[in-house]
Amino acid sequence: MNTAPWSLHVLSEVLGAFTFKSPTALRDVVSRVAEAVDAEITAILRHPGGFELCVGLDDQHKPMLAAAAAERLPVLSLGGALLHLYWSPLDGGDVMVVGRFREDYTLEERALLRAMGRSIQLSTQVLAALKAEQEAVRAEKEAKVLAIRESTIDALTSLPNRRYLLAHLAERLAQCSGWRDQLGLLFIDLDRFKHINDVYGHSTGDAYLQAVGEALSHFRDNDTFVARLAGDEFILIVATTDLKLLTDLAERILKHLDQPWVIGGRVLQYSASIGVALAEPGDRPQDLLDKADLAMYSIKQQGPGRYACFEPYMLDRARRKADLETEIRSALRHDEVISFFQPIISAVHGGVVGFEGLARWRHPGRGLLAPEDFLEVAEEAGLLRDLDARILRDACFRLTDWQCVQQGFSPRLSINLSAASLQDPVLIERVADTLAASGFEARNLLLEVTETSLVKDVERAQHNIVNLKKMGVKLAVDDFGTGYSSLRYLRQFPVGMLKIDRSFVSGLGQNHDDDVIVSTIISMAASLGIQVVAEGVETADQRTILCGLGCDFLQGYLLGKPLDGPMSERLFVRSDQLLLQLGKDDF
Amino acid sequence: MTISEPVPDAVASAGDRWIEVGSSTNPEAELAVREAMAPIVERADAKLTIIFCSPAYNLAEISRLVQASIGSGEVIGCSTAGELLRNNPMTGGLLIWALGGDGFAVTTGVGLGDPATGLRDAAQTAAQCLKRLERKEHTLLFLLADGLCGDQMEVVRGAYDVSGAGVPLMGGCAGDDMALQATQQIHRGELLTHAVVAAAITSNAPMAIGIAHGWEPLSEAMLVTGSRGTTLESLDDRPALDVYFDVYEAPAEVRNDPAAFFDFAHTRPVGIARRNRIEIRYVYAADYERRNLTIFAEVPQGAMAYLMHGNSDSVLHATSEVCALAEQALGGQPARGFMLLECVARKSLLSNAGLLEESLRLPTLGPDATVGGFYTYGEIARTEGSGGLHNQTVVALAIA
Repeated sequence: MNTAPWSLHVLSEVLGAFTFKSPTALRDVVSRVAEAVDAEITAILRHPGGFELCVGLDDQHKPMLAAAAAERLPVLSLGGALLHLYWSPLDGGDVMVVGRFREDYTLEERALLRAMGRSIQLSTQVLAALKAEQEAVRAEKEAKVLAIRESTIDALTSLPNRRYLLAHLAERLAQCSGWRDQLGLLFIDLDRFKHINDVYGHSTGDAYLQAVGEALSHFRDNDTFVARLAGDEFILIVATTDLKLLTDLAERILKHLDQPWVIGGRVLQYSASIGVALAEPGDRPQDLLDKADLAMYSIKQQGPGRYACFEPYMLDRARRKADLETEIRSALRHDEVISFFQPIISAVHGGVVGFEGLARWRHPGRGLLAPEDFLEVAEEAGLLRDLDARILRDACFRLTDWQCVQQGFSPRLSINLSAASLQDPVLIERVADTLAASGFEARNLLLEVTETSLVKDVERAQHNIVNLKKMGVKLAVDDFGTGYSSLRYLRQFPVGMLKIDRSFVSGLGQNHDDDVIVSTIISMAASLGIQVVAEGVETADQRTILCGLGCDFLQGYLLGKPLDGPMSERLFVRSDQLLLQLGKDDF
Repeated sequence: MTISEPVPDAVASAGDRWIEVGSSTNPEAELAVREAMAPIVERADAKLTIIFCSPAYNLAEISRLVQASIGSGEVIGCSTAGELLRNNPMTGGLLIWALGGDGFAVTTGVGLGDPATGLRDAAQTAAQCLKRLERKEHTLLFLLADGLCGDQMEVVRGAYDVSGAGVPLMGGCAGDDMALQATQQIHRGELLTHAVVAAAITSNAPMAIGIAHGWEPLSEAMLVTGSRGTTLESLDDRPALDVYFDVYEAPAEVRNDPAAFFDFAHTRPVGIARRNRIEIRYVYAADYERRNLTIFAEVPQGAMAYLMHGNSDSVLHATSEVCALAEQALGGQPARGFMLLECVARKSLLSNAGLLEESLRLPTLGPDATVGGFYTYGEIARTEGSGGLHNQTVVALAIA
């Protein structure tokens, strides 16, 4: 059985309680001092300053103890009972007091309490330093947390931003050890978001993005992470191996987003497109994002408000497009894109009055490529302006040469102008430079634009159209009848020529509707003083009908295929078909 | 051991105070509340109603029904590891303990903690109800705490921070029928966890607390050389679990099987040497890898500790006598009622010996004294010193 003196228990237990791990440890130590000696009251009094810590005494009785401190009273009457006090001096006049009802302290207890006082003094000093240090660490931690939040949270939607998303995705992918831990990703892109910004302003656009972020955050749970990637793109990462679960989720999100929302007092209803992809072993974050992005892009091209799952062919197609884009850039640098010329014939005289300059790509491996083989990619890559400029320049120089070959020959030149070129701020400068350099006359140049580009981007194109008119360059409306067919812009802009689309010409004599449409276009143009070219003339019947309807000019395989410059020169410029000395009203 | 409040100068009027206890084992919450509340709703002026309820019930529903039937009176309570009446230990039942009359005044409070930071601040917050109490001659702070939320000693320290030496503390830690998953506390109809609820009770008649456990040291005193929170790491610089097995000569299954250890440890607590007594700590789990013991409350590093052994006779005696011990401290006034809080581990010991019911016969008490309480995960009783957390102990509150 234990024979150790009680005082040793006390010493051992209280000294064992000392710790510098926490600034609040002093409170525990003081509590343990009281518990170890069965005392009711323990306090530390500062001189001056009063109580730093007090256990067991309420506010009402503290002044009595403070008063007793001045004289170090050994006993205090408190609530009708005697409180035995032991005062253990600390540095600078401070004191620790321990009070116990009923029994006074033994000599051993007094000796130990005095020794404890010294320990508490040292503890207080160390803990004060520790507290200051921990306060500094805490402030630094808070600053770091704030900085991390600011750098990882999207300020507009309060969702994780791209940086956080990529880090999170990398971490989740690293945790995937096999098919059991697969991850799914939904790439959400808002349809026509640019339209919101353009029509309602960016503040409404921002409010709409906030609303979308809020709506998507409701899909967040333990298995689903939601983030804003950029602009109008949002990402959901889902812990699942089940593609059906992902497509069900995509459907729910599409349904949820495609509702009328009141944003800034306006009712907006816009859909979204979603690409769905499942991670495969070895996928990096960008791989998975790219797959879902490709799926989204693929379905968006088919129309808004839909989702698609990633298929490997999408990646192949994207790679092919990327390769093609690189090749087109190279082709433009190495003069592989050249002009071909198709003659335009007078319906009245049957002679050549001009040419349409057409782009062809003399591909080193694939041979001669038509525009439909590369124009779409060139447009996406933003290369159409360079392409248009090259054809314009090449054709202008070529036709100027021909004028030298045939004195008095003043052929017109039609060149396709893309919507991008029509809006290009340097179009006028580029056309003027080309005309000046080649010596080709502005009045003989027709720039062919589609109805769509003319009507849809009219405001942006207005400046160029006005200045083209001032230069004497005319506009030809290509594929007339297939788009808006608006009479208003025929009067509004310097339209000198309408080109009847080949789809109507091909039905002449066989389809009554086509006969009526072509007849109407020719009559209308005549009444507005605009000349008409019929494209795609391939048969003699079509030529006869068009001539009978009063069409001004004809273009098509019947009259001449597109040929390169030397061949065109040989066949048309140096031949008898050339109609010389055309009157100014002819073309 | 008994500790009493100072003896009053004059016997208070007996007619202005009452204490009632009701109980039910009806599985239907509404019927159980109606049955248990029957003796209480007859009284019009309940000041404090305490619910001791098995987690087998929907405590939210029980709480709502009791609050509705009591009206404006204060209602607190907790989940239990069994309920106890005189002569009748229950499991899976509902017990309502209430006091009322103009001789009492009550305020209540609640504080929320969490397992990471413990319950000291929660107990401090709950104990603030003392400051709103218009005190009569005798005042006591009653506490019900989450029994599975950190070191239970922190509850006593937090409450003592507010109550000071002048107010005795009494109470218990909520249980969950030994599932050891989560306990619940009730305050004014609200169901809480990781909480401390407190009732400051003041009376014009004495209230006294009795404490007994009946455990005896089996080992020599040992120095607690390693202890962290509720983990006892080493005794005399040896792994605590190894010392424990050696002293108790633990059989092989206990040395390998956590469930066998759990049953074994019910009746083999740790004792902490205090100046004139030994405080008991309940061992409820072992870490076979780190060779640690897990205890409901801290065993302070540096303390002298014993491994205790259960003597069913002494344990039985402690239970049957504790109410009488508390009553003796009332200064000659008869007790109107008792609150009895007993450690659930003692229930196991007495159940094994077939003595549980016998322990609650309380033969020294008069037939009119009401008795009610619950089986706890820790007992609180402080009347002297500043400690007062007990395990595997029985504490009784006697109210005149």
